[in-house]
Order: sequence, then C-alpha cells, then structure tokens
Amino acid sequence: MKLNRRLFLKVAGAAGAVAAVPAATAKASTGEAEAAVSSARRGVLVDTTKCVGCRACEAACTEVNNQPEPAKLDDSAVFKTVRTTDTRHYTIVNAATMGASSSGSAVPARFIKRQCMHCVEPACASACLVRALNKTPTGPVVYHKDRCLGCRYCMVACPFNVPKYEYDSPTPFVQKCTFCADRQSRGEAPACTSVCPSGALTFGLRDELIETARERLYAKGSTYIRHIFGEREVGGTSWMYITDIPFEKLGLPGDLGTYAYSSLTQASLAAVPFVLTLWPPLLMGMYTFSKRREQVAAAEGAGKETSHE
Amino acid sequence: MIPHDILTLYSAKMIEYGIAILFLLLFIPFWKYVQGPSLATVPAHATVRQPAMAGTDWFPIPFDRLFHRGHAWARPDADGLVTVGLDGFAAKLVGPLASVGLPQIGAAVGQGERAWRLVADDGRAVDMLSPIDGTITEINGELLKTPEAAQADPYGRGWLFRLRPQRLRANSTSLLSGTTARRWMDEAVAGLQRTLSPELGALAQDGGVPVTGMARIIDPDRWDVLARTHLLTDDKEDANA
Amino acid sequence: MSNSTEGALPSRSWVTDKIFLGLPFADYLKSLATPGNFLAGLIIAIGVPVIVYRFAFGLGASTNLSQTNPWGIWIGFDMLAGVALAAGGYTIATAVYIFGLKEYHSIVRPAILTGFLGYLFAVLGLTADLGRPWNLPVPLFISWGGPSVMFEIAWCVVLYLTVLGLECLPPVFEWLGWKKALVLATKATIGLTVLGVILSTLHQSSLGGLFLMAPTKLHPLWYSPFIPAYFFISSIAAGLSMVIVESGLSHRAFRSRIDHHVDLDKLVIGLARGASIVLFCYFFVKLQGVADGGRWSLLATGYGYWFLVEVLGFILLPSLVFAWAARHANVSLIRWTAAWTVLGIIVNRLNVSVIALNWNAPERYIPSWMEVTVSITLVTLGITAFRWIVNRMPVLNEHELSGGRQI
Repeated sequence: MKLNRRLFLKVAGAAGAVAAVPAATAKASTGEAEAAVSSARRGVLVDTTKCVGCRACEAACTEVNNQPEPAKLDDSAVFKTVRTTDTRHYTIVNAATMGASSSGSAVPARFIKRQCMHCVEPACASACLVRALNKTPTGPVVYHKDRCLGCRYCMVACPFNVPKYEYDSPTPFVQKCTFCADRQSRGEAPACTSVCPSGALTFGLRDELIETARERLYAKGSTYIRHIFGEREVGGTSWMYITDIPFEKLGLPGDLGTYAYSSLTQASLAAVPFVLTLWPPLLMGMYTFSKRREQVAAAEGAGKETSHE
Repeated sequence: MIPHDILTLYSAKMIEYGIAILFLLLFIPFWKYVQGPSLATVPAHATVRQPAMAGTDWFPIPFDRLFHRGHAWARPDADGLVTVGLDGFAAKLVGPLASVGLPQIGAAVGQGERAWRLVADDGRAVDMLSPIDGTITEINGELLKTPEAAQADPYGRGWLFRLRPQRLRANSTSLLSGTTARRWMDEAVAGLQRTLSPELGALAQDGGVPVTGMARIIDPDRWDVLARTHLLTDDKEDANA
Repeated sequence: MSNSTEGALPSRSWVTDKIFLGLPFADYLKSLATPGNFLAGLIIAIGVPVIVYRFAFGLGASTNLSQTNPWGIWIGFDMLAGVALAAGGYTIATAVYIFGLKEYHSIVRPAILTGFLGYLFAVLGLTADLGRPWNLPVPLFISWGGPSVMFEIAWCVVLYLTVLGLECLPPVFEWLGWKKALVLATKATIGLTVLGVILSTLHQSSLGGLFLMAPTKLHPLWYSPFIPAYFFISSIAAGLSMVIVESGLSHRAFRSRIDHHVDLDKLVIGLARGASIVLFCYFFVKLQGVADGGRWSLLATGYGYWFLVEVLGFILLPSLVFAWAARHANVSLIRWTAAWTVLGIIVNRLNVSVIALNWNAPERYIPSWMEVTVSITLVTLGITAFRWIVNRMPVLNEHELSGGRQI
C-alpha cells in the first residue's frame, strides 16, 4: 500500500546504493539482490549494560500511540514483578535478577526492554492466513487490522508471545509494537530509541548494528557475553540484545533454534501440490481396478447362468 | 527440525529401524488375525427383531417390498419369482389363527382378487386379496403345521406363497412402497386408532404395542366384518359368517 | 407410484407432507414431546443465550482464553475433534465408491450426512471462536496468506464443506422428488468422492500441521514433524469409529426407517477390522515419533504417563480389542470400543491443542462454563439436525426414486 511504497522510496534514497529490490515478499533470487535487501533492513541494538531503567522508552511509546501512561512511571517498585507487554503497552522494561558478569564481579541491576522482536522471517507473518501481519522489507512487522479475522494463530506461532489480543472488546484486534513504521517512513527513528538517554538503544541498519555489537563484545577488557541474541535466533530478529549477564536472567528464551519458524511448516505445505497431483491418478486407478474386478465377476456370474426370467 | 546431537542420532536411528522391523514382523500375523474368519458365526439378521413400537411406528414397513391396499405384500426375488405375504397390520388385526387356506400350486391369482383365507381360532374366516397377478409355484409348508407363523412373523417366516408374476410392471403401478407405503400404513393405523382409543385406553399415541386381534377387541361379535372392511374383502356377494 | 390410493390418502399440502411427517400440525407438535427432544430443547434454550452473550460482550467475558493461552476448547474440541470425527464421510465413501466395497453402501449416506453436519458445526464452533468472524471472506477472496497452514485449512474446509453438501444432495432430491436433479447429482458421485479424499487428506493433516509452529510450546512427546501424519491417520480411525457409533445409535433411534434386510452387524464387524488395522499402524507411527526425537526419558514424567495413557489406552488397546471382538463377532463390544476410540481421538486433539500445549507456561487454561455450554449446544444442534433430516429424507433407507438401488 501507499505507506510501504513511500517507505521503500525513502529507504532507497537514504541507503543510497540499493540495487533493484524485488517486491516486498518476493524472495531475492541473486546474492546481489539479497545483499541489497539485507542492507536496507533496520534494527535496534539493545545494550543492557547501558540501560538504567528510566522507562522513558515506555512513556514515549504510549505517547506516540495515544495510549494510557505506563503505571508507576517513577516508582522503581514496578520492577519487583516481571511484566509482559499488553494491548495498551507495546513495550515494557523488566529488571533482571542480580547476577555475576562473566568476569565474576558483582554488577549493578540490569534492565531489559521487551517489545516485538520484528523477526527477519517472522513466525506470525507466515502464520497469518490473511497477511494481516506482514513483514516490510526494512524491518517492521506491521499489522493490517482491517484484514484480521481474529484467529489468534499468530499468538500461538510467536516464540516470544508478543501479539496480545483485545479479549475484552467485542471487535477485537491484535496489538503489538509497530517499530514505529509510520515514523520510519517519514525518516524518523522509533519513539523509544529517540528518547533513550543512556544510549542503550541504538537504531540503525541491522548489518551495521551487528558490527557495532561485535566491536563491543570483542573489545579488550569487555565483560559482555560473546553472543548477540537475535543475530541468528529464529532466523534473526531486528531487535538484538547484548549483555554481560546470562541471557536467561533477562528472560530471553534459550531454547530457540536458528531456523526461521516459517520453515517448520513449509515442508508440510510443500506436500500440498504433490497430494493434488498424485491422489487423483491413485484414486482413479483404484476405482478403475475395483470396477474392472466387479465387471469380471459379473461376467463370470452371468456366464454360469443357464436360464433367465 | 528437532536439533539432534550427532551422537544420539546414531542410537535414535537404530531404534527407529528396530521399531520399523518390529512393526513389519507384527503386522503380518496381526493382519491375518484381524481378517480371519469369525470364530463365532454371526447370527443371521435378515429380519430385525420386533422393535418396541411407539406412536405411529406400530407397523414398521420393510422397504424392500411392495404393498397392496388389501394389506398384502409382494417381494420380487432374485430368481424372477415373487414372494407374497400379509402385512403386520393384517396380522395384528385378525389375531391368532387356526389355519391358513392357501391356493394350490399351479393356481392362478389376480391382483385385487381373493387369494387366501385366514381362519381364526374362533372359527371365523377372513379372506385377503392378492397383490399381483401370477401363477402359484410354491406355498409355505410351515404354515400348514404352524399357522401362527403368519401372524407372528408376517414378513419373514410367515410368508404365504411364491408365484410367477405375469404383469409385474403393470401391477406395480397400483402398489405402494417406501415412504408412500409408510404414509398409507400410518393412515390405516390412525383410522384404527380413532376407533380403538376408547377401548384400548393407554395403548394410544405415546407408547404401547398393538394388541394381537385388535378387531376382536373393538367389535367382539362382528370382528370379522370389521376386519374384512379393512382388508377390502367385504363384498356383498360374500355370505361367509 | 400408485393411482389407486387417492381414495385412501387425504390430499395434503407439501409442507404437511415433507416437513410435518405427513401429520396434521397439531399432531406433529404432539409427537415432538419426547424425552430426547426435551433434553435437546433444554440445552439449546440455555446455549443460545450464551452464544448471544459471547457475541455481544466478546471473548474475554465468555471464555477463559488469555494472552498465554489463545486457543481453547472451541478450537481443540469443536474444530479439531469435530473435523476428525466427521472423517467418516470420506472414509466410507472411499470404501464404497473407490474400493468398490458395495456391501457398505447402506451406510454411506448416514456417514456423509454425519460428515457434513460435523464439518458444519465445527465451522460454527470456529466462528464462535474468531474475534472478527465477519472477516471470514477475507482469506478466501481478499488477502491470501499463502505460506500459512491456516490459509490452506481455510480453503480446504470451505471446499470440502461444499463437496460434502453436494454429496448430500441425492437424498434431498429424492425427498423432493426432483428426478432430473437426482440423476445429475448421482453422476457427480465419483468425482466428488475423489475430490473429497484429496481435500480431506490435506486439511486433516494440516490441522495437525498448525502445531508445527509451536516447537517450544507443545510438549516434546506430542511435538513431532509427523504431527500432520498423526492427524491424518487418526482421522481414518476416528471416522470408522464414529460411523460404528452413529449407525448403532441410528438403528435404535430410527427403527422404523431402516432397511430391514441390511445386516448392520456384519458391516460393523468389517468396520471394526479396518479400525483395528489403522489404530495398530497409528500406534507404531506414534512410537516412531518418540524414537525420532529421542524422547524415551520423557516417558517417566507426569506428562509422559499421560502420553502413555493416550497411546496405550486409547490407541493400542482399542486396536487389540477391535481385533478380538471382530474375530468373535461380539458386536456389542465393538460398539463400546468404538465409543472408547472416539473418546481417545477427542483426548488426543485436546492434548495437542490445550493440554500439552503451553504445558510449561505459568498460566494454564481451563475452559469456562460458557465455553463448555457453547460446545455442548453446538453438538446438540448437530444431532438435532441429523434427526430432522433422517426422519424425512431417505438417508437410512432406500427411496423408490432410486429404483430400489441406492447410489
């Protein structure tokens, strides 16, 4: 739609050297085109060692989305419980449990901002039967609410349990972080990354962010755990995390493979054309065979009879 | 898609192959067992046991035969002959039988013409009409010994005779089957119930079974006249008592 | 038909004849006062307001669904189990029309009717579950999510419902007496059957394929790349068992309408043999799934025991009992085993969608009383529709229009 095209043009202009990119969902057929799409992807690097838990990101998000202010914005007691996003709050910040960094010394409290990961090959988009959830080439997984049936398969498919449902509404929608796709189409950064005072959130091209992250991880004397969460998990996510405490303490799932979830169902869907092609001859063959046997049996039976009425 | 560690993969594969071989070994005897002949003979269910009847289901209609308004049925058989009998309504109407007077083998009967006589155990007799034209080829010998069979199992053991039909197709146009036969039967029952209900009391629409010898209950003195009315054999020329 | 019965039968309106079973309206109403109808009426009287409430006030007010557990029994039972148990339609149709097992043709029609109503009410259950059911035309006509398994299911179910509806037309045309339409409808039978098998293979397996997307949420004993195969194979056993159960109940409930010279017991024994073999293979396929994932150690956990209950108690056991009962011509035992197998299919579908899904989530799902009510109401409506149709149309018996030989 119009938004996508404008977004695409802006990105092409901003990136400067983008080769002809195929349409939003067509697979890139050459390495060059793939690199071009990849280089156009936006992402965010979340450096939890820099997050101070101010929750300015939460406030900015609710402001641009016309949602109620987050609860207890200036009360650190909110960190006592592990929260999840909900239908009116697309992002939340949780505190990690206190833990030792890889160097063994005690570390200050760590915080982690959670929101939609905007996966490179999102499970939700591949699950959605009407493309209500749709991956845009530059990163955001956007929601076209007019198409949505409310089947909630996206909620089952998402390994991060991101999509939230408006169960209390008689005309419910799925709610999740939009990566400020509309702001990005205007050339702006997402609201949360714009207000982060401590530099924990860095918005930019995904490939560049990975480089940045690697520099930090492998710098001399770095205390980071040498893993970028989201670089390859579930085929890669736009929001990536680096930290100096074990990732489980941040609440990030540790049992995700590196395969994209869309690949899980492709094998069984690939069987569909095979069934459509092979079942008819198989079944008609059996039908013909059994009809033939009937005819032969009937002919033999008739041959045995000597008189008719 | 489940990530395997290469070492467990070896043992997993061995187990899988093992299970597959085990299955194949077990499958052949299992198939033989399942497809083998039944150790017990299946009881023949050519006719269903008399069902508990309620409402208008007093006289269920078997759907493989043709009915004549005189409450007789004809069933074309695979060998080209036709089996003839009386229907459940007639059986219950007349009640316990002393004998059944069947036509002789070789005799010709006509559709709508008197073909046999039911003699009740009180001596009164009621004739019935043949459902089709034909020549008698066989009569049910069992009825000579146990005439109750005609009353107890009119669609099965109580068949009356078999004949070679002459004009089966033409005859069929005057006969009822399937849902039309059912409606006709329901009408006959309804008609009977209108006369019956004061007498039979509880044996009404919602439960109960038709009583053997319904005609006798309605009109003990002249039940045979009533029966002949229903069985369409109440000709004025017939002077039977 | 007969022209000499004009005197015997009073002329009746079409409505009286076809709808009110030939009875005058007052008598028809009186005949409806049976205990079965009373129970059904009670259930529907409670259920319909609940359904209205659900649509008026939303899912949150009427269900126990949550952000962690987005799917409940309307998906697990009404949709998944409903579709599996409606598989008798394509199973028996294949046996009769493709494999040429003509002796089963007396149960083809009730099997297809059960299938059609099963799918219809599964779709109604789905409609109750959808947040925005008025968008149902979207995946069909407006926006196509090709890579989605759900998309394939949506198309297959819509097409298959149509196929089943068409397959149900011959008894309708016989009931209405439309001879030309009947001939046309009957000619389409083989094509519709083949199409039905194809569509059934696709969506029965895809309903299982939905859960391929949840490797971290579905318990490893139930999660397998072979879930689609499990669902497809078990649907065959489900269909055969459901036909055994349905035919037993129908022959008792509709005594006066059945064809008296059909030996149902012999057919049931044949179906039991088939179900036995299918369940036997299904058991081994499930076993292979455990081996493939190297999951043996999990069998010793709580969920492992439950898995064993499902696999040994509801798959292997009925397979062996079906085999024994068929050999000993014990029809009553076959019927009980069939009901047991039906229960097992329901257990399996609920396991995959509700019980073993999110097994390790902090918040578990228990259906609300309204969800249970709606499910029971939909089943009751389905049974009532079945009875209404069977009491009027030649489903359990042959019609004179078919020339005594039912197609």
